Amino acid sequence: MPVVHAGLERELSYVTRPVEHNHIRAQWDDADPLMQDISYNLIVGNHHDVDRLTTQALGDGFSANTILDDGLIAGMSIVGVKFRDNVIFVPEVLVAARAMKAGMAHIEPILSASGIEPLATVVMGTVKGDLHDIGKNLCIMMLRGAGFTVEDLGVDTAPDEFMDAVMEHDAQLLGMSALLTTTMPNMGRTIEAFEEAGLREIVKIMVGGAPVSQEFADDMGADGYGEDAIDCVDLARRLLGLEDYAPSREPVGATD
Amino acid sequence: MSQPVDRERYRASMARLYGIFKEMSETVSEVSRRRCPYKNVQDRCTAAFGCRNQRGEGPPVSLPLCVGSDDLDYRSAWMMDGPSP
Repeated sequence: MPVVHAGLERELSYVTRPVEHNHIRAQWDDADPLMQDISYNLIVGNHHDVDRLTTQALGDGFSANTILDDGLIAGMSIVGVKFRDNVIFVPEVLVAARAMKAGMAHIEPILSASGIEPLATVVMGTVKGDLHDIGKNLCIMMLRGAGFTVEDLGVDTAPDEFMDAVMEHDAQLLGMSALLTTTMPNMGRTIEAFEEAGLREIVKIMVGGAPVSQEFADDMGADGYGEDAIDCVDLARRLLGLEDYAPSREPVGATD
Repeated sequence: MSQPVDRERYRASMARLYGIFKEMSETVSEVSRRRCPYKNVQDRCTAAFGCRNQRGEGPPVSLPLCVGSDDLDYRSAWMMDGPSP
């Protein structure tokens, strides 16, 4: 079935490289209009609609694989192209990632029922006194894309909140972010709080942020330092001994 | 009831998704050298903290306009506390 969604047709017009355009368009040639609707709403960041449409699709009998491929990932491939070509910027990417999460929330229980579990649970947050969250949010997007479950504590997170979340979600990993030199020491204070509570051994702790360095991470007793979002995923895998799991890099728009 | 998940297809799907995100992350590094990452496509500021480049109404009424020059280091305009008054 050709692309029948007017909004999606408009979104396809942003894909100007002919080979890429044909490749992405072909994704929807055999896809149901409902999958096209999911894709469109993901691209424009309507997370409530992605939530509703994913529920509807599962109720209509579409498989989790089909919704993931023809709805969610197909939409995200357009987001990737638009971002690469400066049609949209980081905030729009993060809004689309939120919509992706809304859809995945319905897919994950089915994966779990099929014996496919997340790689691990990661608690992420920006430390107390710090309101900067772009880097953390990009790390979260990458971690989720790599198969981790992430509990996002947001910004201005106190040591007690980190500890409570690790315990509540039985997290194997904790990620802390700070952008300011004035708030960076709160990473060390959080690690000290874990030590004082006797919780330090139950979780690996990774840190990141513009002013943070490997030396600083070592000094405060973190288990690892990530320079950027890609590094964050590699570090998470390494800390958990998951190096063998290495998704292959494929170009935007490639099919499986 | 949902159909069972095809594991190999799922694995390939996640590899593809990770590839898309990885390319996005590489683009972030490049774009952030010349444009504040909190500035959306309408040149509105999405930051939850104050910045000297914000003009106009703050959240939740509408996002303030970013008047920063992309020729400058936007980080120097970021403030340490909450939204600008």
